[in-house]
Amino acid sequence: MKVLDLRKLVLVNGALLILLILSAAACTLLGPVRLDLSHALSHLFSSNADTEILLRARLPRVLLGIAIGGGMAACGVVLQALLGNPLACPQMLGVSGGASLGGILGIIFFPNWLLPIAGGRLGEISWIPLAAFLGALLSMILVYRFSLFHGRLHPYHLLLSGVILNSFIAAVIMFLNSIVDFYQAQGLLFWLMGSLSTRAYLTVGFIWFYIAVGFLWLWSKGLSLNLITLGEDAAMHLGVEPGALQGQVFIAASLMIGAMVSVSGVIGFVGLMVPHVMRLLIGSDHRLLLPASFLAGGIFLCWADTLARILLAPAELPVGIVTAFFGGPFFLFLLYREGRRSLAL
Amino acid sequence: MICLPRFFALGVLLAALVFFVGLPSPGNAASGSIPQRVVSLAPSITETVFALGFGVRLVGVTNHCDYPAEAKRLPKIGDFMSPSLEAIAAKRPDLVIGVDGATDPAKAREIERLGIKITLLSVSSVTEILSSFKRIAELLGDPEAGARLVKKTTVQFDKVKTRVAPAPRRLVLLAVGLRPLVAVGGKNFLDELVTLAGGENIAANAPQPWLNLPDEYVVAKAPQVIIQAGMGSDTGGSARHWSDLKSIPAVKEMRVYTYNSDKILRPGPRIGEGLEDLARLIHPECFDPASSGVAKGSLCEGSGP
Repeated sequence: MKVLDLRKLVLVNGALLILLILSAAACTLLGPVRLDLSHALSHLFSSNADTEILLRARLPRVLLGIAIGGGMAACGVVLQALLGNPLACPQMLGVSGGASLGGILGIIFFPNWLLPIAGGRLGEISWIPLAAFLGALLSMILVYRFSLFHGRLHPYHLLLSGVILNSFIAAVIMFLNSIVDFYQAQGLLFWLMGSLSTRAYLTVGFIWFYIAVGFLWLWSKGLSLNLITLGEDAAMHLGVEPGALQGQVFIAASLMIGAMVSVSGVIGFVGLMVPHVMRLLIGSDHRLLLPASFLAGGIFLCWADTLARILLAPAELPVGIVTAFFGGPFFLFLLYREGRRSLAL
Repeated sequence: MICLPRFFALGVLLAALVFFVGLPSPGNAASGSIPQRVVSLAPSITETVFALGFGVRLVGVTNHCDYPAEAKRLPKIGDFMSPSLEAIAAKRPDLVIGVDGATDPAKAREIERLGIKITLLSVSSVTEILSSFKRIAELLGDPEAGARLVKKTTVQFDKVKTRVAPAPRRLVLLAVGLRPLVAVGGKNFLDELVTLAGGENIAANAPQPWLNLPDEYVVAKAPQVIIQAGMGSDTGGSARHWSDLKSIPAVKEMRVYTYNSDKILRPGPRIGEGLEDLARLIHPECFDPASSGVAKGSLCEGSGP
């Protein structure tokens, strides 16, 4: 295995980090309505429209977008390595389906419950993300159990049981969608398409903490992930226990995905396309690829959400439409390319 | 041709019907061309048929038809968005009434192909809603009933318009969903109702009838009244949802309301009543000067009942 090129690591990620910070600033300043920044900053502690647009409507949203984009991309990287499949993405694991179902049950049965925590300026916390996270945990346990044979997690079964659980859950969701009333059905549809709309710093803080811990843990497994892409046997000879690694990575990624889908719904294509772009640009050393994908995912989703707010203003597009709009053609391009030369994982 | 199994199922069903129920009774033909067995494909149509006094002729309604109470007891023919062709045919209707844009056109064609008369009515503006009353009354053979219902609704409208006329227009956010925020845009009869009630819809310039609004747009537009409509919206949820955005006048002045009724949401005969409810929320001082508390009561002094 190659020695990690520290200079490249610092250069690439430093550049991406600067780009991310600039993007975050730009996306906070851009939107469907005009924002008077100097007025917002000079009246930070009085209630006025500019400050509220900046600090309540946009900033938490941008911060959430970066965490979710980064988290999705990082999970995409490890899942593609873990499952040895370039098409693997966070939406395939069954966990996102479980989270969606949990969230939808939450919307149907207790749409307006709020946690009895005084939200205040930190923002209210809805019960829906918790229901979604519960769904994610349950489906994770299911998929894990169905892919575990003789104490080992089988990537093939993991992928299949995830996909099948997702289609089963999609059927349940469509069933629920057809029995609820017309307006509720519309709400469900919007929720399913995913949105980064939030004003709750408490939620954003929770997600950031969660994603950061999960990401650092995955990053620490970078070298082992490099080895496992060489094949399970090769990895075993080089001192990696594939079963243990697969189990740990699956659980870490599932927990991250569950938390992300719980707050933002299913936002597709970030976890699929960002890892591939970064692999093409900087190679597939996971110690470098993981942080680079995290930062690039953050940049991508941050801009996608800004476009979602602006393109059809005043209407807000579901951000999943924007990511899929750019992700779909890219995905086809990837398939075409893969047909010509095998894709290096 | 398009859906052979369904046609086969339908054929079997019809054969079974002929066998068990007998051929359609000649009584239908005897009453001339005026339909006696009507299937409604939308809650608003059901309400209109009842309001015109022809509820007894309904032989099938959708699962969502729950008003008036008698409608709940009528046989169901499936969902508003996807009614069951078999269930409709089984009712042997001589008229099916649906809503243009909501009733699946492919299904409408299939119903037509079965030899059942189907009419789709457009109800996306107040004018269209009023003409749908007339049209249904004509179809059911009593044009006067339609004219009466239109008159009744117009009188209700005029009463509200006179009440709110002296008050200045208030900016209104009318939402049906909270998480995400689904608001009423332009090209929606609800936008017209807001205007008639003395308000101005903050999303009136949007070309969509319904749209998902970002929070920043609401803050920037500074609505003076926020109304959360739609069944199942529990009281207080909406007020709490907006409570952190104190720069919005509606929040500051505590004019965030939950309107828990589908009177205004259904383009049917209750929009007159719904409009008054809406106007009472937007301009409470015009209806009950004592209750408004704030010194706004004086705005409406000129208006007699």
